[in-house]
Amino acid sequence: MTYTLTRADDDMAAATDRYPLGERRQVEDPVKQQLERNVFTGKLDEVLNSVVNWGRKNSLWPYNFGLSCCYVEMTTAFTSPHDIARFGSEVIRASPRQADFMVIAGTCFIKMAPVIQQLYDQMLEPKWVISMGSCANSGGMYDIYSVVQGVDKFLPVDVYVPGCPPRPEAFLQGLQLLQDSIQEERRPLSWVVGDQGVYRAKMPSQREKHRDRRIQVTELRSPSRL
Amino acid sequence: MSVASPTRGEAQNRSTRDPVLEALGKHLGAQVMIEQTTLTGMPVVWLPRERLLEALAFLKGLPEGFTMLFDLSAIDERLRSQRVDLPPADFTVFYHLVSLDRNRDLMLKVAIDEGDLSLPSCVSVFRNANWYEREVWDMFGIDFAGHPRLVRILMPPTWTGHPLRKDYPARATEFDPYTLTVAGQDTEQKALQFDPEAWGMQRERAGSEFMFLNLGPNHPSAHGAFRIVLQLDGEEIVDCVPDIGYHHRGAEKMAERQSWHSFIPYTDRVDYTGGVMNNLPYVLAVEKLAGIEVPDRVKVIRVMMAEMFRITSHLLFLGTYLQDLGAMTPVFFTFSDRQRAYKVIEGITGFRMHPAWYRIGGVAQDLPEGWQALVQEFLDWMPKRLREYQRAMMENAIVRERTRDIAAFSTAEALEWGVTGPNLRATGCNFDLRKQRPYSGYDQFDFEVPLGTRGDVFDRGQLRIEEMRQSVRIIQQCVDNMPPGDYKADHPLTTPPPRERMLQHIETLITHFLQVSWGPVLKPNESCQMVEATKGINSYYLTSDGNTTSYRTRIRTPSFPHLQQIPALMRRGFVPDLIAHLGSIDFVMADVDR
Ligand code: SF4
Repeated sequence: MTYTLTRADDDMAAATDRYPLGERRQVEDPVKQQLERNVFTGKLDEVLNSVVNWGRKNSLWPYNFGLSCCYVEMTTAFTSPHDIARFGSEVIRASPRQADFMVIAGTCFIKMAPVIQQLYDQMLEPKWVISMGSCANSGGMYDIYSVVQGVDKFLPVDVYVPGCPPRPEAFLQGLQLLQDSIQEERRPLSWVVGDQGVYRAKMPSQREKHRDRRIQVTELRSPSRL
Repeated sequence: MSVASPTRGEAQNRSTRDPVLEALGKHLGAQVMIEQTTLTGMPVVWLPRERLLEALAFLKGLPEGFTMLFDLSAIDERLRSQRVDLPPADFTVFYHLVSLDRNRDLMLKVAIDEGDLSLPSCVSVFRNANWYEREVWDMFGIDFAGHPRLVRILMPPTWTGHPLRKDYPARATEFDPYTLTVAGQDTEQKALQFDPEAWGMQRERAGSEFMFLNLGPNHPSAHGAFRIVLQLDGEEIVDCVPDIGYHHRGAEKMAERQSWHSFIPYTDRVDYTGGVMNNLPYVLAVEKLAGIEVPDRVKVIRVMMAEMFRITSHLLFLGTYLQDLGAMTPVFFTFSDRQRAYKVIEGITGFRMHPAWYRIGGVAQDLPEGWQALVQEFLDWMPKRLREYQRAMMENAIVRERTRDIAAFSTAEALEWGVTGPNLRATGCNFDLRKQRPYSGYDQFDFEVPLGTRGDVFDRGQLRIEEMRQSVRIIQQCVDNMPPGDYKADHPLTTPPPRERMLQHIETLITHFLQVSWGPVLKPNESCQMVEATKGINSYYLTSDGNTTSYRTRIRTPSFPHLQQIPALMRRGFVPDLIAHLGSIDFVMADVDR
């Protein structure tokens, strides 16, 4: 599995630096590399990593943040029929400082973008971003002067959930995909251990994974029956 | 079908018939007025700008006067080709007035020249003109002399250009791709900082400093990207300044680029909890332009689905309203009811929130087999839930104590600010378009219009429970009396045209192809349609220049004036009351900023 390494810059960001800050590059699994160097600490690293990740992924606290229509479907996922508590994410936080991940649920407006950036900056590491809905993914049907064409123009996005709006189930699937990718992550286990880089696994594309099954479908249900 | 430009003789004749225009003519001198015939269903009169304020004050002061400034916006006329017999104009500013007592409307238009883009501000006559004039400044760059603070309202303060001008590009992809740099982030955040002096606010009173609290643009009780800056003395709100525009999606500009048909999905997203309710005013206005009369079955299907969305929207309201008052559980109950409603909506339209299901001249498809049972199941479920909500929530002593006489306003105040819908009816004013100006066959239904008495936070909540009962009643009548017939009008402009017609010979195939790819061409004219939407009166005012797209689409939404009213209500109130009031308004930001 390949990883994306993000390393925080020690220097202050220069005024002309663009968001998202920090340097990114593709690397191999860091644990595997160490394994070759020292079998014992390598194993320990792997076990510790997966224990920590298991804990992280099963208690993700969402930030209560909504931009537009998609947010309604996101809150629907929080209520009883869909019950997000099944995935350990029911602890909605009203402050970014207490939240683990942020769902960009809705359209990202140019007037709102600096505000979103500030809120993201206020979240503490480790933190993740789910982009929910076509607007946040790419601007969607709003190719218009006031809309940023995708929130990834300035935020690092972990999971994209397609739809306009995505169904609550789709959001929950997005959450589970985020959990899967957190399980594979490599973060510093302490501020003195390791190289302090954040290694995010490159997860397989869902579209590719399901393509074969999807193109098998030849007959669609007629809309004239329920 | 009548055409945009009347001959002068006709205009004279009409104004002698109309008592209001006659009185206005007598007051101003008939020679300054030019009447325009349109399909808007109201008299449209052009005035010279020097006489505008006089005319507005006169109309407002008439017995049974035009006390509500319903809408105010502008049109960039520079590229409009079909302007026969209209006064020369580069830009037009229009004032849409409503008289509730007479139950009629009137539109005044003022032509202005590119070289001198200015008008007198009418804030002294209609207080709610304030935000509308700011919007016109923001979108068109037209100056209003005497406006208390003419600054941008929808676009960021750092913006350049006026997006609704015809020479302004519509697409984001016509500009450089968006980037945010560290310095840019800083500049933008600084520009958003609140400056009390600019708003004429004191920083202290009698030696004690005020606190300025910034609520939003992201706050859990602000219902979306809405910001309001509070000037506080302890818990007391001395003054406040709402700041909007964080949700401006350029829907009006979008309408100038999409075809008449392909704009329908964008209407869904204006009041995004209202679903197909938003399609209704738009398709009705287009049908007026096209001269389409739809079959009864279409009318009843449309009413049924629109009322379904009124229920889902009010359920969302009820949950969040009580949540803002501090009750955690109601939202779980109302959302599970919404889930049941969506089962019906999805079964019939195939989508949950934004079905975009109405079509010009009909609906997308006929009702599916077995729809009655599906709808009936929901109708049987709702009444007992509503009774439960009534008992558990509205009869709850804590809720009562918390909401009675909070943020109360009278009918007169409501009209002054352009408040409509349930919030207006909570003051005891009996004005529901479904009764007063029935559209889409509402006159055929039996239902009551619930009214409040005190116009406070409690009444606004209670009234919506009643409204849901009435909606259930209306839907029941739809199920019991669904007329047979077609789900599309038999008209050449019905879009998309019935498929069976296409399959006859090459000629029909070509016509079909053109109508689906380019969309219908509508004759030059203007039309307007208001509906009683979930949150108040929503209207579309369309101008066609004889093309496949609209020349100008003005979307008047109810939530915009509702937010403008907040400072007038909240001065000397407390912060928790503001939160209760925000919960009781029932707004979504897309319905404010469009
Ligand atoms: S993706 Fe669709 S539903 Fe979501 S915010 Fe954008 S327009 Fe609304």
